[in-house]
Amino acid sequence: MSSGQVWALETQGLRKRFGGLLATNDVSLTVAPGEIRGLIGPNGAGKTTLVNLVTGVHAPDAGDVRLAGKSLQGLGMHQIARLGLVRSFQVTRLFGNMTVRENLLTSFLARRSLHSGDGLALTDSMIELTKLGRLADTQAKKLSGGQRALLQMACGFMVPGTCYVLDEPFSGINPVIKDSIIDMIVDVNRRHGATFLIVSHEMSIVRRLCPQVTVMMEGRVAAQGSLDEVARLPEVIAGYLGKALE
Amino acid sequence: MFSTELVVQTFISGVMIGVLYALMALGITFIYSIMRMINWAMGEFYMIGSYLQYMLVAFLLGPDLWWLAIPISAAGVFAFGLVVQWGLIKPIFKKPPEARDDYATVVTLALLLLLRSLATGLAGPNQFTPGSNLPIVMVGPMPMAGARVAAFVFALVALALFYGVLRYSWYGLALRATSQSRVGVQTAGIDVLGIDRVAFGIGVALAGLAGALLAPVFLVFPTNGLITTVKGFEIVVIGGLGSIPGALIAGILLGLIESFGAAFIDSAYQNIYGFALVLLILAFKPTGLFGERGREA
Repeated sequence: MSSGQVWALETQGLRKRFGGLLATNDVSLTVAPGEIRGLIGPNGAGKTTLVNLVTGVHAPDAGDVRLAGKSLQGLGMHQIARLGLVRSFQVTRLFGNMTVRENLLTSFLARRSLHSGDGLALTDSMIELTKLGRLADTQAKKLSGGQRALLQMACGFMVPGTCYVLDEPFSGINPVIKDSIIDMIVDVNRRHGATFLIVSHEMSIVRRLCPQVTVMMEGRVAAQGSLDEVARLPEVIAGYLGKALE
Repeated sequence: MFSTELVVQTFISGVMIGVLYALMALGITFIYSIMRMINWAMGEFYMIGSYLQYMLVAFLLGPDLWWLAIPISAAGVFAFGLVVQWGLIKPIFKKPPEARDDYATVVTLALLLLLRSLATGLAGPNQFTPGSNLPIVMVGPMPMAGARVAAFVFALVALALFYGVLRYSWYGLALRATSQSRVGVQTAGIDVLGIDRVAFGIGVALAGLAGALLAPVFLVFPTNGLITTVKGFEIVVIGGLGSIPGALIAGILLGLIESFGAAFIDSAYQNIYGFALVLLILAFKPTGLFGERGREA
């Protein structure tokens, strides 16, 4: 790739310290437009901190984040979201007392200016796609963990983003819903050319979705390459996988 | 002594004053549910509303146009609320310090003292009454001051409007979403500080509206917000902090209890009966009638 390339998502020397803990230390990574990148590493490696730095939850102590070449420095979470960077949370952040339908509609209306279309019709088609029809008028807090994760993902897809940062979208979810989420990711990637950075411990899904993975360990980028390449590295086996992948 | 007529009368006057108390409580609980902070200066916004109403009626519009003064007073308090949020509250939320609600408590308590002293300094320790040209109205079998009936009707209209906006408008959806997850709405692309500003304005405008409506009944003086604020907090405890239906139902409940206590026990202790109910609620249902247990931030 040429040096003049504009990356969909780029971090430059990101550093964040929480008290005595250096959560991310000089993290630089680049994700090409339309790529689905995996982000793996042991618990406490700084993956979620990186996601929080990219999406504006935390301000970095040093370094910069660029979305399609544009610096996100000093922007708030909602401003970053409005630029088309959509994220999901490990612990879902839904609107618990609102129905499934209202959750979807809120996600549409919040970024309405980015997408012309009929919010109600879009909501209906998303409910159909996710097969949540039976639960459309149920409060989000009454859903199961998997259904919540699915709804959170559906909210993110209500208005197509340019770049998705998903923090453990598959953890604690049954295989059927996992497949639904994978289908949605692939669909948005193919149809809209959206870029993905996906944090996950599910190696089989990472292998299926992500041609390239970045490995983080102890706040740093430890390795990068295809999953099979990085899975052969002794330090990755010792520090994360425990044994070589099958 | 326990005639049906007296019971009906007591019930009606209890409901009528309860709805006005509910306005105040709604303002407290609404600001809390969006911003997770208590505005301790709520009574001072009530006070400003009552002064605005008095000045408009006495110097500008005259008693015949009292009904026009009411929305203007509420709008004035709304505008003042926007300025206060922008100048004093927003900086706390922009770069949240470790203990955000402690800062909010200190700031709003300081605001309470400032506004109360300003009112004393500017208008003196006098009591004013905005003139009312309203005749005595018969409510069922009972004659009632026109100003009280008008206040009740205005309060009902305001509550319906508030509910309508919250339930059926896009902005209401954004407000409700913010009350459930401040992080979630920001992720969706909503400017949460902008929502805060409007929510703070609406919350204090509800107090201002109560002040304007009750000005002819409870009079206008620098500390007139105190008793209504105390009642507002009683209602919030009874109904459950952050619960909007709780504020309404507990408001009416408080009005009824005070009214019945005054009529059938002793009117000298009118302000005590509510506290008795608060104690009972705290003993048996500490989250309030409609409150929820603490939730994740």
